[in-house]
Amino acid sequence: MSNTLGMYRTVKRLGIPDSNIILMLADDTACNPRNKFPGCVYSNAARNLDLYGDNIEVDYRGYEVTVENFIRVLTGRVDPSVPRSKRLLTDDRSNIFVYMTGHGGNEFLKFQDNEEISAFDIADAFEQMWQKRRYNEILFMIDTCQANGMYSKFYSPNILATGSSEVGQNSYSYENDNDIGVAVIDSFTHHILQFMEGIDKTSQKTMQDLFDVFDPVKIHSTPGVRSDLFHRPLSQTLVTDFFGGVSQAEVFLPLIDTKTSMPPNGLDSKQPRAQDDPQDDAVDDDSGVFPSIRGSYDADLLALSSGKISLSSQDGMPARGARAWTSIALVGALVVWVGIRTRAKR
Amino acid sequence: MAEADQQQPPIDLSKLFFQSTTTRRRIIASYWIVVILAIPIWWRITSIDRLSLPESKVSALDTRDLRLPLRVGLQSNVPGISSNSIETQLAHRLKRDAESHCVFFESAPVDLNRQSTPGTYDVVIEPGAPNLLLDGRRLSVRSQGETEEQVLDALTNLVLPSSDGMEALRIVKYSPRFRIAFSLLNEDATSGRSILSWDVEAAIKRYLAPALEKLSILHNFTIESQVQYHAPLAFRPHEIQIGEQTAHSLTQEDLTVFVNSAEWTLSSSVSNDPVIHFVLFVPSADDSPLYILDHNGTPSSADAFILPQWGGIVVSNNARPHLKVADLEHTFVTFHNQLLSLLGVPSLPANVDYDYSLPFTDWQLDALVRLRTMQNVENSKETLRSIVALVHQIENMPVGQDVKGDVQGVLDALDLVFAESSSSLMFALRHSSDALTRASRAFFNPGMLALLYFPAEHKYAVYTPLFASVAAPLVATLAREVAAWRKTRREQA
Repeated sequence: MSNTLGMYRTVKRLGIPDSNIILMLADDTACNPRNKFPGCVYSNAARNLDLYGDNIEVDYRGYEVTVENFIRVLTGRVDPSVPRSKRLLTDDRSNIFVYMTGHGGNEFLKFQDNEEISAFDIADAFEQMWQKRRYNEILFMIDTCQANGMYSKFYSPNILATGSSEVGQNSYSYENDNDIGVAVIDSFTHHILQFMEGIDKTSQKTMQDLFDVFDPVKIHSTPGVRSDLFHRPLSQTLVTDFFGGVSQAEVFLPLIDTKTSMPPNGLDSKQPRAQDDPQDDAVDDDSGVFPSIRGSYDADLLALSSGKISLSSQDGMPARGARAWTSIALVGALVVWVGIRTRAKR
Repeated sequence: MAEADQQQPPIDLSKLFFQSTTTRRRIIASYWIVVILAIPIWWRITSIDRLSLPESKVSALDTRDLRLPLRVGLQSNVPGISSNSIETQLAHRLKRDAESHCVFFESAPVDLNRQSTPGTYDVVIEPGAPNLLLDGRRLSVRSQGETEEQVLDALTNLVLPSSDGMEALRIVKYSPRFRIAFSLLNEDATSGRSILSWDVEAAIKRYLAPALEKLSILHNFTIESQVQYHAPLAFRPHEIQIGEQTAHSLTQEDLTVFVNSAEWTLSSSVSNDPVIHFVLFVPSADDSPLYILDHNGTPSSADAFILPQWGGIVVSNNARPHLKVADLEHTFVTFHNQLLSLLGVPSLPANVDYDYSLPFTDWQLDALVRLRTMQNVENSKETLRSIVALVHQIENMPVGQDVKGDVQGVLDALDLVFAESSSSLMFALRHSSDALTRASRAFFNPGMLALLYFPAEHKYAVYTPLFASVAAPLVATLAREVAAWRKTRREQA
């Protein structure tokens, strides 16, 4: 959840109004009774920066966060009674930034505990958006295990995609908070947010600069970038084209985000703690604080701690077809076998 | 016990009532009947309702282009300027780029007494001091040495205003309904420099109502207004020195991030209509006077700017507790101009005069109506095409009766547009707007959500545990029964 809220805070800081951000949070960890420090979600274990704060607008919350609602928001096929704040009101001049995080696997991402969205669903939704000219460009960013599989099925133009880890690879959390016993932020997101802290609304940094800071050693997984659908050179695409509300550039950037349920990971700043050095609020903590914990808890462990395990299937398409046919063959074999046996008995 | 069992005669299985062949066959048959009867029900509830769309009609639209007539009556009373030659050249110019604007030229007799109708214009060229005057849908050209070329240029510009890329980006997308939100924002009302109230209603009535009235054939406007007493900027304006005075400035970059959307609430969100914002910003005592710097970094006299497709902003260095209608004149005249350019009212050629008591001329209005009609028709066509393409492409996408009805409605509305285009421009616009609304509604129909993608293995995973266990005994008994039946037949024969 701090992944999502971190992104939310960043795009808002860069000038995207709340009305253009669609924030989906599957779980209300900040107000969860199991949260030791209610009302707060922190960006890191040092608890310098409360991401929840007092000015946050969650558009889809709890059980509203479903695959269906997500697809409806993207394609615009919402019920007529849905209010403006829950709609994605974009047109052919809008740049859209989609950020997703949660428990994922090869070509899917888990929503809540009972459904999942597949790469085909998102690819089809983007194609429908393209057909209706609902975007100019999309930046798709995903931080899950095996995240890169998720954007492999896209086929609509002008989509730039990046993911935290290759198929077959886990995505690891950045650090763990011992007081609440869970990991607080994922490594990939943490490094992006750190880069974003150095950017303001008028920054001239490009997407290439952002992708250059990806360091597989630091992130503990191999981030991927897919730019074959994207028609501008990355070194001429400003980061603020997607992350910033700069009006001259005609940027209109909704953030769509989802997170499967997680145990509470917020902490309260009101409780004075001896080790809590008050630092500058605006600065994200840097990586040296808990070096020993780094990388020792991964996203799967995170899933385990909440009693939900996301298993990831590793096989590709041919294997999948083979498996389907095997099951048919099995049923057929069973029938034939029963038939032969009865005949043999006579 | 064992002995007693042995002494009993073995039970003849074929004598048991439930082992009678007929009963057994009936039981098996009844199972199969249930299965077979259930198949259509299963088929019905698992299949997706995909009604066929009138695809041939949609593809036939590609060949039908909107053609809006431009009836121009030309009369030249100046020797040396021939109305015939202007006519031919105008027709030629319009034909040259017919692709991009869809109007065609029709010659019409000059009739100075007729009622003004959109799309019909009179041009009278008379001798006199050089002057181009628009009056309603009439253009009076006074000429001494004006050449044909100049008249022709002015005329082309009037009926087909050229717009560059920047202008096109500024214009809001067409919508039948708009909300206009006027906000008076005080950066900090406690600092001493503030405007606490304004006569906004009277000002709108006086300065904007005529324009809104004229534009009401295109859009339906809803107006709201508000005053805010604490609307901080997200950045600090730079300090500059003008002579002795310390002033503050906004660079061109500052303007792009001027709107502090995180902290300003600029419009209510009660409806889904697009909003055009107008902001009168009063800087606090610390930040005033506040000037806008031009590209060279020197303070300019401009105090207003447009954010494309968003709205307009005026910075006021003239703070007083209450603004009366007269005080608002400058602000609202600016808002008026900003509104016109945001809505896409084309500007007039520089050398043309008109009655300045009017917000804008009928020539401009007609040009805008033609442009919007053309865009609406294009958009509706494109939406229809993409609906058809998507339904083909995504096999799980349901197509319900209401979608089909809307698609048919779009086709009907477009037919009406094509039919009306030669007679009434306003009706054509209305039907094109209707077509666009319906096309969007059809595309965004909530029922058109494709079922989530289920890979084949999911389907087998669902059906195999259910049916494999049931199917095996069913099939086996049937096979056995058929075998037994054939055996008895063979024995009998």
